[in-house]
This record gives sequence, C-alpha cells and structure tokens, in this order.
Amino acid sequence: MDSGINMLCFSACYAIALALELLGLWRQIRLRRLVLFLAGASGLVAHTWYLGKRVAEMPAAPLASQQDWYILAAWALAAVYLVLKFYFPRSAMGLFMLPAVLVLIGVSRFTTTTPLATFQSPRIWGQVHGVLLMLGTVVVLMGFLAGLMYLIQSYRLKNKLPLTQSRFQLPSLEWLERMNSRSLGAATLLVGGGLLTGILSRLAQEGDQNFVPWTDPVVMSLAVMQLWLVVAEVFRLVYPAARQGRKVAYLTLAAFGFLMLVLAAVTLRDSLHTKGELGSVEAQVSPSTTNVLRGGLL
Amino acid sequence: MNLCMIGCSHKDAAIDVRQQLAFDNRQTLEALDCWRSKFPNSELALLATCNRVELYAAGATDSEELTGALLDYRNVSSKQVEGHLLTLNDSDVVRHLYRVTASLESMVVGEPQILAQVKQAYQSAQDVGSTGPLLHDLFQSALRTARRVAGETKLHKHRVSIPSVAIADLASCVFESFDDKHVLVIGAGEMAEETLRYLHDVGKPHVHVINRNAERGKKLASQWAGQYHPWSELWSQLVEADLAISTTSASEPVVTAEKYDELVTPRRHQRALCVLDLAVPRDFDATIADALGVYLYSLDDLAKVCTDNQSARAAELPKAEGIITQETRRFWVDANHRAAVPVISNLRQELERPKKAELERLFQKLPDLEEPVRREIEQFADRLVNKILHPPMESLRDASQEGTPHGLLDAVRRLFQLED
Repeated sequence: MDSGINMLCFSACYAIALALELLGLWRQIRLRRLVLFLAGASGLVAHTWYLGKRVAEMPAAPLASQQDWYILAAWALAAVYLVLKFYFPRSAMGLFMLPAVLVLIGVSRFTTTTPLATFQSPRIWGQVHGVLLMLGTVVVLMGFLAGLMYLIQSYRLKNKLPLTQSRFQLPSLEWLERMNSRSLGAATLLVGGGLLTGILSRLAQEGDQNFVPWTDPVVMSLAVMQLWLVVAEVFRLVYPAARQGRKVAYLTLAAFGFLMLVLAAVTLRDSLHTKGELGSVEAQVSPSTTNVLRGGLL
Repeated sequence: MNLCMIGCSHKDAAIDVRQQLAFDNRQTLEALDCWRSKFPNSELALLATCNRVELYAAGATDSEELTGALLDYRNVSSKQVEGHLLTLNDSDVVRHLYRVTASLESMVVGEPQILAQVKQAYQSAQDVGSTGPLLHDLFQSALRTARRVAGETKLHKHRVSIPSVAIADLASCVFESFDDKHVLVIGAGEMAEETLRYLHDVGKPHVHVINRNAERGKKLASQWAGQYHPWSELWSQLVEADLAISTTSASEPVVTAEKYDELVTPRRHQRALCVLDLAVPRDFDATIADALGVYLYSLDDLAKVCTDNQSARAAELPKAEGIITQETRRFWVDANHRAAVPVISNLRQELERPKKAELERLFQKLPDLEEPVRREIEQFADRLVNKILHPPMESLRDASQEGTPHGLLDAVRRLFQLED
C-alpha cells in the first residue's frame, strides 16, 4: 500500500520548523516553540516512515543507494536536532541544524537511486562500513555546526553583544566546546572504522578484486580525511591549547572541509556512473569501482 | 468587610524612620501576640522587611488605635513618624497588598524575595493565632495574584541587580554549570558576597578568596565553604580560575595586562576565563579582554545590561497592573457577595418553609397521586421558588460589584421579615 509519504512531506515539515526558528528571531509568537517542535517531530516521523518503506521495498535499504545514504544521514541529524531542541528549547540551534538537514535531503535528489554494487564480499562488512561512514558524516557535521555556534557565541561574548536578552540564544561556550571536542574524537573513530571495514570488505572479495584501490578519488579523499582527523587528535593530545576554545572549533571546521571533499568525490563519481560512463572509468581506474561504493563510500 | 493597613515603606519613609519601626521575626511574633489580646475582635498580620513595616487588620478595628499600638510597641512618638505613615482602608488595602506581593512596590521592581516574605508574615500571624477568615482570604488571594503576575508577565525574567546579571546573564553563557568550577574572588567586599550568594543558588563551585586583609578574606571564604589564599598567590590562582570576581577598592588595576600576559596567559593554554570586574575603578586592565579565551565584563558593561533589563521590566508593568486591578475587583466582589450570603440563605429558608407546607397540604388532599405526578408537582414548586428568588439574587449580585449592598440587604430583611 502506498502511504503517500514522500521526500516532500518531511522536507516541508523541516522547512516549517526552520521558518518558525527564523520567525522567532523577529517576533514572539504564542505556542511557537510547541508548533516548531511538533513540526520537527512530524518531519522525523514521516522521514522514518519513508525509510521504513524503502526497507520494505529493498532489503538492503536504507543504505542501498547513495540517495538512501544521504536521506539516512539527514534522518540522524534531524533526530539529534529534536533531542537537542527538547533539552535546549530556547536555543536557536535549529537555525544551524535544520538547513544542514535540508541540504542533505536536497543533495540526495541529485544523487543516484541506482542500487550500490552487488554484494560479493560478506554483506555485514558493507553494512557496517556504510553505517559507520554515515554516522561519521553526521558527527563531523555536528562538530562543524557546534564549531560555528562556538565562534559566534564567543564573538558575542567578546564584543558584549546582548545575550540572554536577545531572541538569538545559543548554548553555553562550555557545552559547545565539549560538543566540538567529542565530535572530533568520535569522528576519528567512526571514519577510521568505516575506512577499515571498507578495506576489509574489499580484501574479503574473491578473485581479482581483493585489493584496495588507493588511487580512487573517493578512497584517497577518505584516507586523507582520516589522516587529518588522526593528526588533529594527536595535535590535541600534544598541544594543550588545542584541547579547548577556538582551536577545537577550527579543527572541526577543517574536518568539515575534508568531509565536503569526500562527499563531492562520491557524488561526482556516482553521477558518472548514472550517465553510463562508469563502465569506462571502471575499466580504466579500477576493476572494482562499483564495489567501492558498496554500502557506502568504499 | 473592614480592612485596614498602617505602615511605612521605602517610598514614604527614609531608612532612619524605617529602622525605628523595624521588627525581627521574634519581635513580630511577640507584637502580634500582644496586639491579639488588645484587639480581640480583629485579625492581624505584620509584614516587616528591610524596606517596609506594614500592619494589616481586618474586623472591628479603628486605624488610629492600630497606629497607636504600632508606635507604642516600638516606643516611637507620632511626631517622629509624622508624614511617613501610610493608612489605607478596604479596597485600597487589597490593591496595596497585591502590589506588594507581586513586587510592584519593591525597591527593585520584580525582585522575587517579597513573595516569600509575605508568606512568612502570614505564617507568623497564623502561628500566633492572630489571623482569621478575612485575612486568610486576603493573603491567599494576594499570593495567587503574585503567581499570576509572575506567570503571565515577564516582570521577573529580566534581572536588574549587578550580581544576578553577572551570574545569570553572562557567566551562564560561558559555563554550562557552575558545579566544581574554580571561582576566584579578589577582594572581600559586599558585592563579592552578593555575587557568591547568586552563584550558590545556581551551583556548587569551589570558592577561593584572595584579599589583602586576611581576616576579612578568611571570613568570606569560611562563609561560602571556600579557601583563603594570600595576596601573593593572585597570579597562580588566576591560572587555575574558571571565573574571577574582582571587587577590591584599589585605586589602580590590580591585574595589569603586562603581568597577565607574562604570568597567566602562557599557563592557561587559552582555557576560557570569565572575569567579572565589579570594582570601581577597574581591577583588571581593559586590554586583558583581548587575550584569547578571556571574557571580561566591567561594572559599566553589567550596568548597561541592568538598564536594558529595567526597561524590559517597565514594558511589562501595564500588564501586571491590569492583573492587579482585575484581581482586586474580583476579591472585593467575592467579599461583598459573601456578606450577602446569610441574608440570601435566610430568604431561601423563608420561602422553602411555605413551599413544603403547601406541598404537604396538597399531597394530603390528593393521596392517590402517582409517584411521577408527585415528583412533577414538587419540581414545579422548586422552580417557582427559584424564579421568585432570581430577581432579588441578581439585584444583590449586581449591587455587590460596587460594595456591600447594606441598603438592599436591609430592605430584603424587612420585606421578607427575616431574622438576623
């Protein structure tokens, strides 16, 4: 039975929530926060329903295609937003998080719905790989947004701008710094785990495909990102000033830059694939290009 | 209802006058006990705070006698307080107590302590046994009104004292919680103490006090379960601190930018330091604010926030006044209506008696009536009595809006020959 729930339904709910967040900056409206929370919650319910429907249609979903992958990442970010909104009802975090959710959904529209490569290696590795990288992406995004909020809040405090009297309220610097710091640590583990499971899934394949295509742009950008995350963590361990304040925020902003590179590489590669050009690329670059995308990025 | 209030507040009397009439908790209880035997037909409650002394009375009490009792108890002559004592009666008393409890009469409008003080005043009166139903209704409705004002306006949400703004509006934007934070207090002035009081309301920080006068420093530290450090440890304590509150009376900055850059900055590793410089002149060199991780607020910065908050509170005043007017009217209408209750009850009884007699007579004449018919006749008689009573009830209710309808009640008593 077609439930009639499509991407437009939950996108519209998130857009309404974002509009209400924006409206809160200008005017005080009765029940605004309640309606905002309900709009966000409705969006998440519709979003969950949509993903459930995808799972029913295709057992490999919600990581069966690149589009699914983006939509699942958007779902995770929206869920985090709702939890944070519950704990910080007055904060304007939605102004940062909801656009990110909408961008992820928007980008998913331009990515392929073609199922990712046929599973030749144990399916579990592909799924773990996809989930870890999806969570890594969400965590890096969270760190990036917390970093942005930290820099804005720090600027407001330094310049003695109105804080609690203002309608634009953010969590405390201490909370944002903790969020930044933890997201960096968690991203290192998740992305590292994703990369490792991707490698393992490649090596577990039979025949002439059991090697890691290090020259592949996706693999290369992902490896560089992981390298950056490890270096950032070591930097934080060695240099105490990098454990707190603005430096952590800058590190998370840089991690976001690397994430953008990885996502651009993945999206670009797969758009070639959908145009039917992947076969030639596959032949030239690596014999296992489709498997690289299995369940995620590798 | 006969209500009366005698007293003075910061609005009408200077502190020296208020001090002469001041009561502590023990004196309040003793005074109420004394006045209770002097005015056995009155209900009494005494509200005594730093900014006001007000004696509330209900029942058969003369305001001059009350004034005499208040002044005699404190051995103050009427000349000493001439022009400073305020006397209010009836609805003015209700309105005044509502305004006081809702903090509209406070020195700092919107400060929350007064609500607890009014509660305490009523509790003391209850403990002594000097209250009764009239003051019970008055004080309970005052507390309800204050809660309405607090809930329906933002009067209490905007903080206006320097310490409360410093902690709740600024430091809380830096720290998620004040538990286990290293709080360094430089100087042991009143402002430091007041700020620590606010700080302890919101968390359990580790307090460290530095003061040139060791005795005062140790006293302040022990008061807040903190630790005293000699002045020589200023720089090492600044390295450890999360929040620094400075209130010395030094004529020059005690924390200079050069020394801070040399002794503190390299050892803090850009860890956030919130500095509340509440001293005049400043204790922290203003350029320290440029250091990474330092959020420095001076008294002027905080005063600006206080002024903004005061304006925000002022904008809420009309709404609060509207609630006070509404609740005062409601109390007065209810009170007046209660005064008419005995007459209404008598009137109803007077009409019920002939109704019952006539029904009995009718049912004796018609003994074969079936039960449904008997019930219908009884309902008819009830409806008739209610319809006869409706116009006088309405008139009494309408008249109660303007005060106790003594004339009308008397007329009802005479027309229907009701007993008192």
